[in-house]
Amino acid sequence: MIILSLKTLVKSFGGLVAVAGVSFDVERGDIVGLIGPNGAGKTTVFNLITGAQRPDGGDIFFAGHRIDRLKPHRIVKLGLARTFQTIRLFPRMSVLENVLSGCHCRMTSGIVSSLLRLPHQRREEKVALTRAMEELEFVGLAGSWRAMAGGLPYGDQRRLEIARALATEPKFMVLDEPAGGMNDQETRGLRGLIDRIRKRDITIMLIEHDIGFVMKVCNKLVVIENGAIIAEGPPEVIQKDPKVIEAYLGVGD
Amino acid sequence: MTATTLKRFAFWLQAAGALIFLALPKLGLGAYWLDVLNMVGMYAILALSLNIILGHAGMFHMGHAAFFAVGAYTTAILNTRLKWPVFAAMPFAGIAAGLFAIAVAAPIIHLRGDYLLMVTIGIVEIVRIALVNDIFGLTGGSNGIIGIARPVLFGFRITRPQHFFYLIWGFAALSMLLFYWLEHSRYGRALKYIKEDTVAAEGMGINTDRYKLSALVVGAVWAGFVGAVYASQMRTISPGSFNFWESVIMFMIVILGGSGNQKGVLLGAFLVVGLPELFRDLQSARMLVFGAALVMMMIFRPQGLIPPKPRNYTLPESLAGKYP
Repeated sequence: MIILSLKTLVKSFGGLVAVAGVSFDVERGDIVGLIGPNGAGKTTVFNLITGAQRPDGGDIFFAGHRIDRLKPHRIVKLGLARTFQTIRLFPRMSVLENVLSGCHCRMTSGIVSSLLRLPHQRREEKVALTRAMEELEFVGLAGSWRAMAGGLPYGDQRRLEIARALATEPKFMVLDEPAGGMNDQETRGLRGLIDRIRKRDITIMLIEHDIGFVMKVCNKLVVIENGAIIAEGPPEVIQKDPKVIEAYLGVGD
Repeated sequence: MTATTLKRFAFWLQAAGALIFLALPKLGLGAYWLDVLNMVGMYAILALSLNIILGHAGMFHMGHAAFFAVGAYTTAILNTRLKWPVFAAMPFAGIAAGLFAIAVAAPIIHLRGDYLLMVTIGIVEIVRIALVNDIFGLTGGSNGIIGIARPVLFGFRITRPQHFFYLIWGFAALSMLLFYWLEHSRYGRALKYIKEDTVAAEGMGINTDRYKLSALVVGAVWAGFVGAVYASQMRTISPGSFNFWESVIMFMIVILGGSGNQKGVLLGAFLVVGLPELFRDLQSARMLVFGAALVMMMIFRPQGLIPPKPRNYTLPESLAGKYP
């Protein structure tokens, strides 16, 4: 079953064409790696999917909805969560409060029930606290729930971003360079974590520069260069594709 | 002394302070000082409502006097023309201010920082000039509206400064309680996320534009309520009472006291509105000292006198034992 479908996406910034007619489908349960040289348009594709930017042309379908005209918060509510390339936690809030931000879109109490602290609002808060702690346990950060997010080690901050995204109860997660800045041990831990996320029936798409990591984690790769797809398929095939080797290593004269 | 005893001690100290404060009219405080305290109280409520917008949602809104004015004029018009009692007009003062906030803010709510600041300053001026020009023939031009009735609560006519003292400070206490609850909820959290990082908040599924607008509306409704109290206390209102300087004072109270912290805002109201009265004998020099004090503050303590502390959560019992 196809969960995400991009159809001839186009996005340009001024005269620069960042994405030039990108189309591909993601099957439910896949772990898709979006790779390519720097400036190839990977992050722009992510921003189009998550609604941070609007495409100039083309459509995006997610779980039966057309999402390319929706605002980011609507897309999250449909079940598509993200992490950021440059970590964007709420640094001066506690680890727990960061994860609670993910619970927000599955809660309902509004101004009046909050202003008057109505019973259903208090019940909902308790449920959210438990939910947030579950996700912290899942990524292995439950013990530091009181700590300030900004004070965590880098690898923990990356995991906290994942916990926060998981709290939105996604069907699909896009991770922008999840292993960026991690040491070998943290990267191994991340691989295990991504595997456990997939087992929760969450489809994953990630951008990553660490090719070794991508080869081990993903079951499908999409390679883009200059805003267009140059290869698509399982890692073993991509590895041998001459066009990919050329894009990464350059051509010898 | 352990942290809990210290906390308990601080609580009782604050409770005793609040009781002594409430007993002030009975302890023979003169009408002049009661009027000063009433003024402090009114500014405190206005600043508490601005605190939701500026302190929690982090929106630079320097036009709060406009909503205050809409509330005061709505009350004055309903009372003098239709003979509505003040407390009957009060909810409509809030609603009018809230609707006005939606009308003027919906197109500009996505603006950031200094841009929003400019536009909100413009809103105050528009309101003041509209009032001076006797808009719809209802506002009485630059003379304003005279002869607003005193409020009557359960048959009791509120007239003297000590009566207003309890009305205003009771209202302030109620506002603090409700806003405390609001702050410690999904709603209040959403505003804080927006203040910290709007892009990340939107990325976590928070409708940032709607929350920003609703924060502005909640603040405006409350400023409208205060406008009703103000109109009935003054009995005469005119456009001069709702100028840009009033907005600046409210803004200053929040920033100086500690934006996002109720105690800070309360302290700010006493310092900004009350303190200059203490030094009235120094004549114009007091504003000089006041200005210098503000400059020093911004250099040495830019986060305000009492900045907000990170929120403490209590886990449900099942988890509290596992994760201390």
